[in-house]
Amino acid sequence: MRVVIADDAALIREGVARILSDAGFEVAGKAGDAEALLSLVERRRPDVAIVDIKMPPTHTDEGLVAADRIRQHHPSTGVLVLSQYLDARYAMRLLEQHPERAGYLLKERVSDVGVLTDAIRRITEGECVIDPTIVSRLLDRRGPVGGLSEREREVLALMAEGHSNAGICRRLFLSPKTVEAHIRHIFQKLEIHEAPEYHRRVLAVLSYLRSA
Amino acid sequence: MRVGPLGTRRPLCDDRRVAASALRRREIGRFGRPAVALLAVTFGLLTLAKARHDPDGSFGGTSAVGGIAELGAGWCLVAVGLLFGHRHPRNLVGPLLVAAGLAWFLPEWSNPGVDTSIGFTAGLVGFLACAPLAVHAALAYPTGRLSSAADRAGVAFAYSGAVVLLGVLPAAVFDPGGSGCLQCPSNLVLVESDFGLYDTFNRWGLRLGLAWLAALGVLSLWRLTRTRGMLGVTAPVLLSAAVYLAVLAWYFQHSLAAGLLSNTAFDRRAWRYEAAALAALAFAVGLALLRERRARASVARLVVELADSPRPGGVRDALAAALHDETLELAYRRPGTDEFVDADGLALVVEAGPGRAVTPLRRGDVTVAAFVHDARLRDQPGLVGEAISAARLAVENEQLQAKVRAQLLDLRASRSRIVEAADDARRRLERDLHDGAQQRIVGLLLALQLLRSRLDPEDANRVRSVERAADELRCALDDLRDVAHGLYPSVLSDEGLAAAIETLSELSETPIRIEGLVEGRFAPLVENAAYFTVAEAVRGAATASVLVRQENGLLIVDVETDSADPERAARLVEIADRVGALDGRLTIHDTRVRAEVPCAS
Repeated sequence: MRVVIADDAALIREGVARILSDAGFEVAGKAGDAEALLSLVERRRPDVAIVDIKMPPTHTDEGLVAADRIRQHHPSTGVLVLSQYLDARYAMRLLEQHPERAGYLLKERVSDVGVLTDAIRRITEGECVIDPTIVSRLLDRRGPVGGLSEREREVLALMAEGHSNAGICRRLFLSPKTVEAHIRHIFQKLEIHEAPEYHRRVLAVLSYLRSA
Repeated sequence: MRVGPLGTRRPLCDDRRVAASALRRREIGRFGRPAVALLAVTFGLLTLAKARHDPDGSFGGTSAVGGIAELGAGWCLVAVGLLFGHRHPRNLVGPLLVAAGLAWFLPEWSNPGVDTSIGFTAGLVGFLACAPLAVHAALAYPTGRLSSAADRAGVAFAYSGAVVLLGVLPAAVFDPGGSGCLQCPSNLVLVESDFGLYDTFNRWGLRLGLAWLAALGVLSLWRLTRTRGMLGVTAPVLLSAAVYLAVLAWYFQHSLAAGLLSNTAFDRRAWRYEAAALAALAFAVGLALLRERRARASVARLVVELADSPRPGGVRDALAAALHDETLELAYRRPGTDEFVDADGLALVVEAGPGRAVTPLRRGDVTVAAFVHDARLRDQPGLVGEAISAARLAVENEQLQAKVRAQLLDLRASRSRIVEAADDARRRLERDLHDGAQQRIVGLLLALQLLRSRLDPEDANRVRSVERAADELRCALDDLRDVAHGLYPSVLSDEGLAAAIETLSELSETPIRIEGLVEGRFAPLVENAAYFTVAEAVRGAATASVLVRQENGLLIVDVETDSADPERAARLVEIADRVGALDGRLTIHDTRVRAEVPCAS
């Protein structure tokens, strides 16, 4: 699997490259800013681009903008945006335009090989990925959600993190039918009447959780 | 505050000698003016009687038009001259106009049919005296002084040409009996009869006469072009004078052939035009007096208006109305500086531009304020000064207020600079944490991960300590993230107030219900003040609701919490300063906090 890495801090760029190549990925290139990243993607056509949200010149949201352009011009290349910000706003901005093959993880996840490689793999399979800390923070803040059972709450969290039905089955050791039933109940209880198909449901759940 | 009647507050005039001479002048005015008026009426009627008695030798003749021209021009000049003298006692224009009016009657007395030698002689000598007097008055109008050397030379030239060369000198050599006029009264100033010299004086007098008439005409027109706006006060006066001069020149030109000034049918027609031009001049001066009277009446009203303490800027408005100059600016000097400010304390530039004049208001040697006004107001002598004297107390009072307001503005500017500097520092710190410490810790985590992957998996102790270190670092990263967000949420500068409050509601320990937000961007200081009001007000509460709205140029932030943290009031002091620096207001009512910040979205 081919990845490219964009981060203006060389220490992190090189560290992530090292970890990923150790884990068996092919690191097809490294970039220090958004422009270099875009030309890298153009030339190397990687499966996933790992992008720091803050890059030169303004250090605000260059990474998000670059991710958006990659998803627009190279639909087969997924993006994984790394950020220090916990708020769901940036994550939702990423998914609003292109709700597949995109992920938003807290930056320190790069040191967790399992999480990082799992996210990359899911992105190449077409899923989206939202950092579990962001989701659990949203959920914790709300307390009990619309009378959901413990299991339903778990399913809701996994949906918000971007897992597909199959992924949820694997994680909770449930049958597909059971998972589907849970999801149907959840949407009924949350009064989201039209159960959205996979690609829109992450956003739907996140905005529900966000609007207190 | 009460201001005495006009003129009583004139600190420069309380010198005793000046007061005494003013008193004398007033006495002269009281008895002199009726006497002069009586003289003019009598003299005019006598003149008319002479002209009717001997119509052949007169200009007016027996016709009604002639009579109207005779009395109209003379009496108008005298009347306006007296009125002007009454309003402006020390001004030469009044006496000049009176003299011109009386002199207007003189040519009729050079009539051979006149039976008094004194009258006849006066008629001979003063035949042309009216012209230099009237034009002198017009050129000296309205100040009473001839403003340039050219004016003074021109007027002197005219006096000598009219009174000496065409008056005294020919009279001195003219013997009426000797030249065939048997019924003529005797010439009292006759020195020696010499008809040849008489003829020479007249011919040269006429030639030079055309020269001084032209010179005065040019001077009048020159001043006319320098007077801004044809509707000004001096323009009609100068225009009438110029027409009068043109008619005289025409008369002189026509008389050149005969070699002397006479009263042929043509001359009589010219004389009527002269009368019309002089009456017009008198009317022009009269009209200006009327306008001035109106202006003075409004200045008098000004005193009453300003007696009630006016609102800021009220003094300017009252003065602008009193002087009929909407463009008037009133600038107050900030004591100890050369800066000027308006009533609200905002800086003003004081300078005389085209058509604009600056009149200072002084207390002793110190300029208190400056008026920038339409330069044409200077055509009405003393008017601006009177208005300023009338408004003096109010102006000085407002100057003090303006000074305080200017200081307040300075203070506010410096407060907001302080807040701005503090915000910049917060943002810089946030960015430094983000780009520095947080990055380094992530780098460290990566290094630990690489180290771990190289450890022998059997060496459980080492693996565990490396993992513990990594966990510690993750906690540090969480703490740092909270600190950075608390310092300054980057979403606030990136996406604005609404996004920042939404993010706050998402990350805050306190559940926040958002009842309404205003989308759109505001000035950074306004957004910061509103955001930190919410952030500080909700801190420590169990639940909170937030409503942000925009109303009448104010951004209003309402935060309602279930309970008020006892330390919150102390924390909100900083927020109150922040809001106050923007000229806003923070009010705290138990569990309710409201910030109102002026905003221009």
